[in-house]
Amino acid sequence: MTIYSFWIFDKHCNCIYDREWTLLGNPKSGTTNSKQNDDIAKLLYGTIFSLRSISGKLTASGSESANEIRSISTGKFRVHTYCTATGLWFILLTDFKPINYDKILKHIYADIYVKYISCNYLSPYDFAENESEMRGQGVRKISNKNFMGNLERYLETWISA
Amino acid sequence: MSRPVSTISGQSGLSSSGSGAPLGGQGRSLKATGDDIWKNKTEKINAELFTLTYGAIVSQLCEDYDRDFAKINDQLFQMGYNIGVRLIEDFLARTALPRCEDMVRTSEVISKCAFKVFLNISPKVTNWSANKEAFSLVINDNPLSDFVELPMDAMKGLWYSNVLCGVLKGALEMVQLDCDVAFVSDILRGDQLTEIKIKLNRVLKDEIPIGED
Repeated sequence: MTIYSFWIFDKHCNCIYDREWTLLGNPKSGTTNSKQNDDIAKLLYGTIFSLRSISGKLTASGSESANEIRSISTGKFRVHTYCTATGLWFILLTDFKPINYDKILKHIYADIYVKYISCNYLSPYDFAENESEMRGQGVRKISNKNFMGNLERYLETWISA
Repeated sequence: MSRPVSTISGQSGLSSSGSGAPLGGQGRSLKATGDDIWKNKTEKINAELFTLTYGAIVSQLCEDYDRDFAKINDQLFQMGYNIGVRLIEDFLARTALPRCEDMVRTSEVISKCAFKVFLNISPKVTNWSANKEAFSLVINDNPLSDFVELPMDAMKGLWYSNVLCGVLKGALEMVQLDCDVAFVSDILRGDQLTEIKIKLNRVLKDEIPIGED
């Protein structure tokens, strides 16, 4: 299987982490938190944002479970999403191999993000420091070495599998 | 901590199936979720060490703030808030719960999952306001206040477990629920019950990117 890229958005519509692999199947290639990805991040956010609001509107209110977007497919790749109640989005762009990506994204959230960002008092829990950095205008990214290292090691096994 | 699971709504022993309450099914599954996470996914620490550590913090604050109990309450609340805004992520990661549709559901999640997962207690939800936006949590066996006796001068002013209010406030705010959380009474102060009041002010709006509105 191949993972093309991985993204995290926070509740201020900001991309707080992006990782893109440029060479197929090579986990060491690519860029992290690249400026060039800013526009793609905005488009990706907008796409998922719109689909989420449409799927919400198409669901009868009062139904037991929310109608969440789990994945979006195009002709060339698939987008997997995992959204938390606190407004964090974890997004993975992959090929078409039928693998339980939900589990992968949940692992990234529960065992990597929570451990190295939320439970780390030296890391901010909110990446927008003031109002001018909210609503998609943020500039801050996750730069925690433990987070990045553990994420790389975890995704590496899936890329070269 | 090995205190027994407190049962909700006064039933003793194992809850029997077939409850006719409208929230019965949902309520049971939340309780099961809470119990399961407490049993299998929670790292436990010694309850006495926890209680004594908290006691040491409060007594240190009393010294630092020269027994100005209003300030100490604020400080405990602030400490709790800073814990809550991060603890919520840990909670969601373990439970994978979605947002609650109303405060009734929120109250159940707080009582049966949140308190269960972190403190192994299930406070009783009661005193609903008419519009179902404010309720009280009655804590029977507050692990923070084991072995605690307040000195006379603190009986009037100090909310000993005020950190809990801060945690609830911070955690709820992170899921877009702007609430007021405060103690109403505390057994430590000679009251009948230990009661925390939670009142919803408003549901915060999710942000949308600039230029989209």
